[in-house]
Amino acid sequence: MNLEKLLYDAYGYTEFRPGQKQVIEQVLSGRDVLALLPTGMGKSLCYQLPGKVLPGAIVIVSPLLSLMQDQVAQLKKMGEKSVVAINSFMKAEDRERVWNTLGDYKFIFVAPEMLVQPYVLGKLNALGISLLVADEAHCISQWGFDFRPDYLRLAEALPKLGNPQTLALTATATDKVTDEIKHYLKLSDPFVYAHPMDRQNISYDIRKFDNDKEKLEAFLELVADYGGPGIIYAGTRRKSQELAEKLLALGIRASFYHGGMEQQDRIFVQQQFANKELEWVCATNAFGMGVHIPDIRHVVHFQLPSSIEGYVQEIGRAGRDNLPSLATLLYAAGDERLVESLIMDDLPEPHEIEMIYERAGEAKQLIEQGMMRETAYRIISYWRERLPLEGTLNQIEQLKKEKQRQAASVRGLVHSSGCIRHYLSKSFDQENPAIPPNCCSFHGIDHSLFKAGKSRLKAPSQGGWKERLEVLLPI
Amino acid sequence: MRFDEVVLAIMKAVDGQRTISSPYHLIKGKKSGQTIQDIGYFRLHPFFAVLPKLDKKEYLASIERLQAQGLLMPHDDSVRLHRSALELKLPPTPLNGWKYRGNERRFFARLSLVVQTMSNFMQGHKRFDPVVTDEAVQAWAKSYLKRVDFRSSAVQAAFKNQIEQSLSAAKATEAHKDILMKRLSGYGIGGHTWDQLAAEHHILPIDVKIAAIEALHAWLDELEGMEYPLLSGLLEGIIQQSALTESAKRTQNLYERGFSLGQIAELRQLKTSTIEDHFVEMAMNDPAFSSASFMDGQLFESIHRISKEMKTMRLRDIKERLPEASYFQIRLALAMKGEAT
Repeated sequence: MNLEKLLYDAYGYTEFRPGQKQVIEQVLSGRDVLALLPTGMGKSLCYQLPGKVLPGAIVIVSPLLSLMQDQVAQLKKMGEKSVVAINSFMKAEDRERVWNTLGDYKFIFVAPEMLVQPYVLGKLNALGISLLVADEAHCISQWGFDFRPDYLRLAEALPKLGNPQTLALTATATDKVTDEIKHYLKLSDPFVYAHPMDRQNISYDIRKFDNDKEKLEAFLELVADYGGPGIIYAGTRRKSQELAEKLLALGIRASFYHGGMEQQDRIFVQQQFANKELEWVCATNAFGMGVHIPDIRHVVHFQLPSSIEGYVQEIGRAGRDNLPSLATLLYAAGDERLVESLIMDDLPEPHEIEMIYERAGEAKQLIEQGMMRETAYRIISYWRERLPLEGTLNQIEQLKKEKQRQAASVRGLVHSSGCIRHYLSKSFDQENPAIPPNCCSFHGIDHSLFKAGKSRLKAPSQGGWKERLEVLLPI
Repeated sequence: MRFDEVVLAIMKAVDGQRTISSPYHLIKGKKSGQTIQDIGYFRLHPFFAVLPKLDKKEYLASIERLQAQGLLMPHDDSVRLHRSALELKLPPTPLNGWKYRGNERRFFARLSLVVQTMSNFMQGHKRFDPVVTDEAVQAWAKSYLKRVDFRSSAVQAAFKNQIEQSLSAAKATEAHKDILMKRLSGYGIGGHTWDQLAAEHHILPIDVKIAAIEALHAWLDELEGMEYPLLSGLLEGIIQQSALTESAKRTQNLYERGFSLGQIAELRQLKTSTIEDHFVEMAMNDPAFSSASFMDGQLFESIHRISKEMKTMRLRDIKERLPEASYFQIRLALAMKGEAT
């Protein structure tokens, strides 16, 4: 089969991006595939194109509602019409309609929690699945930075779906996580494609300060000097708002973005950033999905990331156009304390675990009364169905150790002396990449390279509603 | 109106009679018997459901501001206004929450997609990320666009022209119209967030939200006149159609113009009992219907109490225990659930 021709006929592209062709060939040959492709490398094409050839449905399991919506939107934008997403937030009548017309759809996105329902499994079975896609497959690993207990249910559903051919996709995975994905998804003799996660066009800069004041001053200087487009990651919603206000006060076109904003406002910030109406977005880690902008020149971390995996994913949003881009990590003495407390806050405490085992029926009240956190409850309730109390306590203890290891590896990023590129690759069990010019702060960076780009920004439109209508509908 | 003024307007009406949280429920559009009855009783129609997603914290912040200004007295649970608040003149508002019931948002979501689509297409872009993610709204907008032949430049010009004409005629301030228009997006131009609008207009984010709703309600009032066919097309299912029969609707119109039951019967040349039926129908369908002009609160309570005690809705059983009540009064009271208004 001529894959290039298929690609051109289906989507009008003339060539594949690195890795896509190898993965698609193997998928079409009927093998299980595990593909490690960096974000923005066109992961979804790896199942879209096979969808043009395979006879049955492509079922994509996606762990995050927002991610699922974004992918459905992207597929539709590419002209794909037979796409549908099924999740537990749908209205009953909508879901009913979708179930009854399921055969009309080629690409069916399903939330993992739906896969425990026998009804859902029955419907999918009747349909005939050509390929099951586990998106963000690293979420299945308890040792991953992004563990979602719901995702393990996918592993339990596979035999009930007749163990279909599986394509596991992820952007970041260490050897340990890769092994777990293979194990849980029962990938038999899979073809593994691991794209080098190193991004040669990104320069890594880590700058250390004695205190918060110095860090903030350096930050404001950096933003004023360099120009965007850039993302500034903050550790908390409040901080993202604070930083945006500081930049606005300096006359820099910036805005904040976090999960606490209503969805319409989040979309507006994405639009403005994509339109270059905004130079900088100060955000929590909620920003990234749904942002498809190739020329982001800067990713600045104002606070330490909570894991190396998360860090690599966030800086990976820079320079998708392969032009030189800068990832800056700002560190002030003592910053690791905040990160460690944030990480540990997510984990269930032993008393919460015991409470769930004793009073599971009252979980809702316990959460409402503030005696238990919902995140903690979700993790525990998964294990409660499977393990005795001791076992769960042990699981969580192990999880805690893993989180501590992640925190230690973030500390290592800041404090180890040496090449940052090598440090990051080593964290993913990958071989040392080549050292490009302007590699990192250890090897030296020519900062003048990044001080450009302001002129491309649009002037904000002034005037009243009639002028705006004129700009919106220029006819 | 500022948000605080909306709260104050409600409080002025219910002063001393309702709890501090009752304006919150009203603004959020809670469909409880109490809230709905209050709308009719205290004439609070404008403010119902103007901010369905109002956060309790934001409401409490407003309460704190009102107390700090000495307008609202700190009083455990019920609303007690200071005299200065009762004397305070509030600006008139185009808000009409009871009529639009949150549906104005659906209208605006449709409009947002239609404008975004036309904006992109007329500038040669056929692929873009839809600004509204709700699939039902997307599907609606798609079929609307097809129906009106949105690619035709004549249609695009007419659409734009109708926006300009109708919004000009809408009875809202220019500043409010500016705010509303900035919530629309197009090719190369994104909508503004509430926080951005607040900074641009030097008011609180929550005040900007109210301003947008005021402009929207004023605009919808204008569009309802049906002089703007392309925009009226966006109103499908937005304006609550009355659940009443044609004849009852005519009775209702006359009643709203101030005619009494007897006068209506005379005017319409119909039997009194027929008009009474219409009133029962209105009482059943209009949650804000008030029984005050037909019986006092005590009688209303008694009817409900006896109906409950005897576990009956039978008129005769109730009439036997309550000879002073007319059959019409009993039917009316039973048609209305909850307390007297």
